[in-house]
Amino acid sequence: MTETKTSNKIGFFVRNQSIVVPIAAIFVAFFLGGILIFLQGVNPLVAYRAIFSEAWFDSDGLLRTFQKTTPLVLAGLAVTVGLRIGLFNIGAQGQLISAALASALAGIYITTLPPILHVLVSLTCGVIVGALWAGIAGLLKAYRGVHEVISTIMLNSIAIGILDYLVSNPFKEPDQALQRTKKIAETAILPNIGVIPFGFILAVIICLLVSWMLNRTTAGFRFNTVGKNKFAATYAGINMKLMVVTGMLLSGGLAGLGGAIETLGITYRFEPAFNAGLGFDGITIALLARANPLATIPAAILVGTLRAGGASLQFETGIEPEIVDVLLAITLLLVSAPILAKFLFKGKAQKSANVTSGWGN
Amino acid sequence: MKRMRTLAGISILALVLAACSSGSTDTAAEEGMEETTAAVLDDSNCAAAESFCVGLVTDIGKVDDKSFNQSAHEGAMAAAAEVDGFYKYIETTDTKDYAANMAQFTDKSYDVIVTVGFLMAEATVTAAKANPNTKFIGVDQFQGEEVANVTGLIFPEDQAGYGAGYLAGLMTKTNKIGSVLGLEIAPVQLFAKGFEAGAKASNPSVAVTTVYHPPADNAFGDPVWGAAEAKKQLAQGADIIFGAGGGTGNGALIEIAKAEGAGTAIFCIGVDTDQWFTVPEAQPCLITSAVKGLTEGTSDLVNLAFDGSIAGGNFVGSAGISDYHDFASVVPMDVQDKVAGVVAGLKDGSIKTGVTL
Amino acid sequence: MLDFISENRKPIITLALVTVVAYVFYFLDEIKTTSVLVFGWGYAVPLVLAAMVGIIGERTGVVNIGIEGQMLMSAFASFFGSVITGSIYLGMVIGILAGLVMGAFLAVAAVKWEMDQIIAGVVINIVAAGLTSFFYAPGKTLPQLMPVVSIPILSDIPLIGPVFFRNGLFALATLFIVLAVNYAIFRTRWGLRSRAVGEYPSAADAAGINVLRTRMLNVTLAGALAGCAGAFLALEAAGTFARGLTAGRGFLALAIMIFGAWNPLGALAAALFFGLSTAIASQLQADEVINIPQQFVNLLPFVMTLVVLAIAVGRVRPPAAAGQPYTKEG
Repeated sequence: MTETKTSNKIGFFVRNQSIVVPIAAIFVAFFLGGILIFLQGVNPLVAYRAIFSEAWFDSDGLLRTFQKTTPLVLAGLAVTVGLRIGLFNIGAQGQLISAALASALAGIYITTLPPILHVLVSLTCGVIVGALWAGIAGLLKAYRGVHEVISTIMLNSIAIGILDYLVSNPFKEPDQALQRTKKIAETAILPNIGVIPFGFILAVIICLLVSWMLNRTTAGFRFNTVGKNKFAATYAGINMKLMVVTGMLLSGGLAGLGGAIETLGITYRFEPAFNAGLGFDGITIALLARANPLATIPAAILVGTLRAGGASLQFETGIEPEIVDVLLAITLLLVSAPILAKFLFKGKAQKSANVTSGWGN
Repeated sequence: MKRMRTLAGISILALVLAACSSGSTDTAAEEGMEETTAAVLDDSNCAAAESFCVGLVTDIGKVDDKSFNQSAHEGAMAAAAEVDGFYKYIETTDTKDYAANMAQFTDKSYDVIVTVGFLMAEATVTAAKANPNTKFIGVDQFQGEEVANVTGLIFPEDQAGYGAGYLAGLMTKTNKIGSVLGLEIAPVQLFAKGFEAGAKASNPSVAVTTVYHPPADNAFGDPVWGAAEAKKQLAQGADIIFGAGGGTGNGALIEIAKAEGAGTAIFCIGVDTDQWFTVPEAQPCLITSAVKGLTEGTSDLVNLAFDGSIAGGNFVGSAGISDYHDFASVVPMDVQDKVAGVVAGLKDGSIKTGVTL
Repeated sequence: MLDFISENRKPIITLALVTVVAYVFYFLDEIKTTSVLVFGWGYAVPLVLAAMVGIIGERTGVVNIGIEGQMLMSAFASFFGSVITGSIYLGMVIGILAGLVMGAFLAVAAVKWEMDQIIAGVVINIVAAGLTSFFYAPGKTLPQLMPVVSIPILSDIPLIGPVFFRNGLFALATLFIVLAVNYAIFRTRWGLRSRAVGEYPSAADAAGINVLRTRMLNVTLAGALAGCAGAFLALEAAGTFARGLTAGRGFLALAIMIFGAWNPLGALAAALFFGLSTAIASQLQADEVINIPQQFVNLLPFVMTLVVLAIAVGRVRPPAAAGQPYTKEG
């Protein structure tokens, strides 16, 4: 415990704990996961090579990794923005799927717009619907005191039901057994630029904007003040109702953008099974990134990589793809629990602030 | 010291878990691998003429789902083994990965790729057009336009439901029967509507209760809801219940098997495969199952692909009702004859179910 | 007694109203009403038990979003425990022990390591989903059936008897568990101390209460109730285990907990309300009395919950220190 001299090199690591610890966490997680894989009779190195050669070193695979990363970044941002203002948005899923349908409908039924404008209009439709769906929870919270955890859970189920009806009846593709919409018009398609989907670039730009907004603007300052201490915020004259509604609208809009990009860039139509679980992954991403907007990108890339490589893992080694979730859980645990930081840096370990502060009220 | 203990604790936990996993090597996955690897060791030379490689991509879900993925998996595995071929599968975890999962197989020049589930129809046709030398078998995938190397294995689910419903109509004493269903999607609707039509055909005074699981991501995996709904229908006088909806339906079957009078006054009917084997808990009440010949259909098509005689378009698999097993002595002989007649009539087209979606 | 009534006005009014309405329907259609209520209570049982887990945790200052995972692990353990030992009673014990272990994990992570509580819960959920799916072995069946027990006299009461007092062991125990938790939280020294720890930990500390030990103990013990909920799902409600068996009920329970204002009786009323609306939705679908698509009929419980909250319940306040790790000063 009492090493006296800390050389510059070690000092560098100590100062950059917030980067070193997650990287170390990933390695430890892969090591522990490797034991699991080894005991299934497979060489862990072969298994990990299968994941990464598919996800990073294959042009189709790399495209898929970015495609999977994109909605995760945006859903992660949606949850992050909520956390920063002290709201726990469990409803990113409902917002994301409503937006996915809305942008599909705009992509199908608006036929008179030129290509770029059509994409923009369709994306906007998605963002607006996502924002409004979250806005319901915001209004209920601001004016009726309904806790956002309840309302967003209920709104998730309500969205699933309504969408199921809409794609089974009015907007169902004709002469087709499947419950799904028609394909969107060519003009509404969000293209890929080589192995990089345009939506990913968009997500990165939005991520930078959100980071700038939260850290450099008055609005962001208000958000953080509300998130840290509601009483102080009220005392400082911040309009709490307005903040809650704005926060939910922004959060829902981000989730909505994720859904819209999925539709316009990958699936080209809406089908209920397409977007399963993305909103809930957003919670994992936001927590892995410790509610830091910029960190959602590497967090989402990690998850996207593991998911994109999962199929190849099973193909090459027969290991079931669930192992990926176990790796993620161990990483999340080690990033968040202080044990690893204390092990690496002993007394010099920084105590990181908590991401969430309970339920708020 | 303390943190060492914690880390040691975590490692031990991981080891214990891993040890448990290595104990469970009797999973379907590894059985499949072992059986087939006896013939062809790996898939490194699938392109060669003398090797025969079969790949399978499941729909969301796993090859032990006691339902359509499992049935198709068993059929493909058996057929590959029969001709000393190599067999491998990928379980899909995200519907957006269908194409990528198929590409794993086409990259290795597999001869036949089986894709399971109607959600995959579009991705299968796209992959087939890009890989004209590979034969694709699309289970539950109706082919609107014929693509030379895609064979859609389809089943008249309404006929299977009709047969089961016809039997239920004859067997019910209370004139009330019910169905506990998964998500309201085409194959489930066909089963359910066929069931109702069949029951009304054999017994015009029967009342049929039809309840779908509320729309949700887990509509096919909620046995707790299925059991509760079955219990409710039983209490309201239904004496034969059709459980059709993956795990949700299985929950209903298991609940009915527990009911008083199960097997004498109260019966249940399974779906997709003969659930006498896949859900043994249901044996006390499981009078029959409305089956699609998923396993034999898949294995027939893989065999045809091996011969080279497989054709594009649609291949209609068998649909009907399964064996009565222990209930052969409970179902009266004249009922058995009538039902057999109806099933035969459905097959040759002399009887129509009249079901439309 | 009067104290009890005035303290629990809302849940008691709700329960009384539900009872009156239920009996009206009972006289209109005995069989249908009873069976709908059986469905409703069966649906509510795991929600109630899981909500108790949340309430005990948060009353002590620890948010538990990992109930879903705790239940799933326990369901898995109780089912395969029964299969391996050949006895569902041993399976029940194993399930409850698994719940305790999961509770202890949350306690260590959230209290001892002072980890972010939401993250600790999310880790539990992911680990549980991953492991129970990874290690799931198909083709296993329970060695015996969960016995249905009728409590003498009580089970003969019309409507209430068959719904609440003629059930499997866990469903029977649930009512008593709710009353016991309610009593323990509001009427015992343990409850007083726990609430102090959840509302104002530094004052509790100053008063000589060991904040960390109280939290560790309560969160671990609450895990046993998550174990009951999981074992109920696998052994009693479904009679089998399937991947993702809990189907989001752990999250729904969080909503129920808040709906019930962190009060055990409130959560009971909320869960009954939710279970009954679900049952009514399914009955409406079965009877086809109103001609609207089932997708809309099935929205009933969710929409009703939002409406009731928006109109009647309004703002509720969580325990002040819920979600915040406690570090002793100095």
